[in-house]
Amino acid sequence: MYLMSIIAATNLQKFYPDPEVPGSTFAAVNTINLNIHAGEIFGLLGPNGAGKTSTLEMLEGLNEIDGGSVLIDGIDVQKDPFDVKKIIGVQLQSNEYFDRLNLSDLLILFAHLYSTSVNPTELLGKVNLENKLYAKPDDLSGGQKQRFSIACALVHDPKILFLDEPTTGLDPQAKHNLWKLVKALNKDGMTIVLTTHNMEEAEHLCDRIAIMDQGKIIAEDTPQELILKYAPDPPQTPLHGNIEDVFLALTGHGLRD
Amino acid sequence: MFTKPQLHLAGIFLKIFYRDRQSLIFSMLFPLIFTFAFLFADGEPDPIKLGLVNQSQNELSTQFIELVKQDPLFAVTEGGEALLREQLIAGDQTAIIVIPMSFDRLESSGQMRLLLDASQVRQVGAIQDALAAMLLAIERDILNIQPMFVLQLEDVKARPQRYIDFLLPGIIAYMLMNLCIAGSGFNIVEYRRRGILKRLFVTPIRPRDFIISIVLARMLIVIIQLSVIIALAIGLLKVNIVGGLLSLYGLIILGALIFLCIGFFLGSLAKTQESIRPIVLLFTFPQLIFSGIFFPIASLPLVIQPIAHALPLSVIATSMRDIANDGSSLFVMNLNMLGIILWILVSFFIATKFFVWRKIAN
Repeated sequence: MYLMSIIAATNLQKFYPDPEVPGSTFAAVNTINLNIHAGEIFGLLGPNGAGKTSTLEMLEGLNEIDGGSVLIDGIDVQKDPFDVKKIIGVQLQSNEYFDRLNLSDLLILFAHLYSTSVNPTELLGKVNLENKLYAKPDDLSGGQKQRFSIACALVHDPKILFLDEPTTGLDPQAKHNLWKLVKALNKDGMTIVLTTHNMEEAEHLCDRIAIMDQGKIIAEDTPQELILKYAPDPPQTPLHGNIEDVFLALTGHGLRD
Repeated sequence: MFTKPQLHLAGIFLKIFYRDRQSLIFSMLFPLIFTFAFLFADGEPDPIKLGLVNQSQNELSTQFIELVKQDPLFAVTEGGEALLREQLIAGDQTAIIVIPMSFDRLESSGQMRLLLDASQVRQVGAIQDALAAMLLAIERDILNIQPMFVLQLEDVKARPQRYIDFLLPGIIAYMLMNLCIAGSGFNIVEYRRRGILKRLFVTPIRPRDFIISIVLARMLIVIIQLSVIIALAIGLLKVNIVGGLLSLYGLIILGALIFLCIGFFLGSLAKTQESIRPIVLLFTFPQLIFSGIFFPIASLPLVIQPIAHALPLSVIATSMRDIANDGSSLFVMNLNMLGIILWILVSFFIATKFFVWRKIAN
């Protein structure tokens, strides 16, 4: 099957000052290549500090690219970051908004920033928040907040939706509810790229996964293939174990903070 | 001229400000306090309280007392020495003059005693000069001599100028600076710290869109705030804006542009909410002293004067005084106007060039 690539990252690099060795830098993202297909849910899986968010922010045009290049739907992120921003929706890890504005005000504001218009009631209905039109973001629960931040990312009907750890801190109900939403958006044709360190999320939500560790991609495939390849189980029992086994087998058991 | 996203964002900032009742109330409180302070103390010096003890009780001493009473510099109380001394010690009198019994004896020069409160030393000069002049006048009168020289005071500007007239344009300029820097500098640090700016810059807006939006919104807010002061000053304090309100408001808009942009720059320099305060103070406080707000730049040391004249608050305050007091127009090109234009260019450049929307690592 021919799959159209919508995101192509080549030899992507990001350096930060090394906190342990003053004056020197370390590679948070170390020469990675990504090929994400139109219409798929792609997961970047990795422990804390693996370079997931840095990678995502370079794809989004939010963080400077120190090496390599990124094409989003054929647009060079370094050359035209503003054109890229027009066709992508971004949900950040932490979402704070201006005080004293309700959800309706905020959605209308974000729509204006994309030079478009939005029906707040309709969009909030899409994320099951239709009765919160005049609530403030601070009045929302964790799950509602995450759904609202996805709504903010959808005001301009983007081609690609980036989600940075969308379910971190959510209870199981809120988590499943959010997965349902992501699946539904994907079913309508939206390409979705998310980062996570939740194995269940990677396994059940993503069509393909790239596992990142220490700035490198150490494995990339569908969840099933990864389990077949890496899960440390007897070969006579197919698909025994889960993605968590794969993850720990690849990244080791050491604590990451 | 402005794009739709810029105008919408400006509207949002106005909405946020309008919904923030507390800052709305407090921003109106200062103009009221300021006006009432000047309404009850009109800025003119209080008369010196002078006690007079007339031990002589003759024609000459009565004539002298009449002269002293006519002088607006003094508020005179006549009475016995013991009582007035008590009042002097209690601080109810500033000085006491004792006219001796021998006041009419022309053959020996009259000796008056001046009793003083030492803490009021700065007024001694004024009291002595005024009394000496009066004594000289009486002396001439008695000896029938015409004064050789007459000093006539003439105000070249030929209009009454009170302290409030001098002070108000400077105060407006100073308030303009503070309101603007608080409106842009402090806000931007908070917006950045909370990640609000990052969320905003996920969208395809550019730093200049954001800056233009805040400048538009804040400018309107500052104009309303200053209008309250100006209206109270004209209505209650009878301050006269000689050069007209059009020029005054034009200047306020230009000044707001400069200080809002400088506020953005300072907000980009500051990494934290704690560091923005000293940074802003470092910028505003020297200008309070060196920009001729309370006393003229000409009274500063010569070396400092050229620098003082070039400060942003100086160019705005000087222009404001020219317009308010001297009837100058905003549309007259002079060195000061050139300074304003230069500051607009410089401040807009540094505001957009150094604008930081991401959190800065400490």
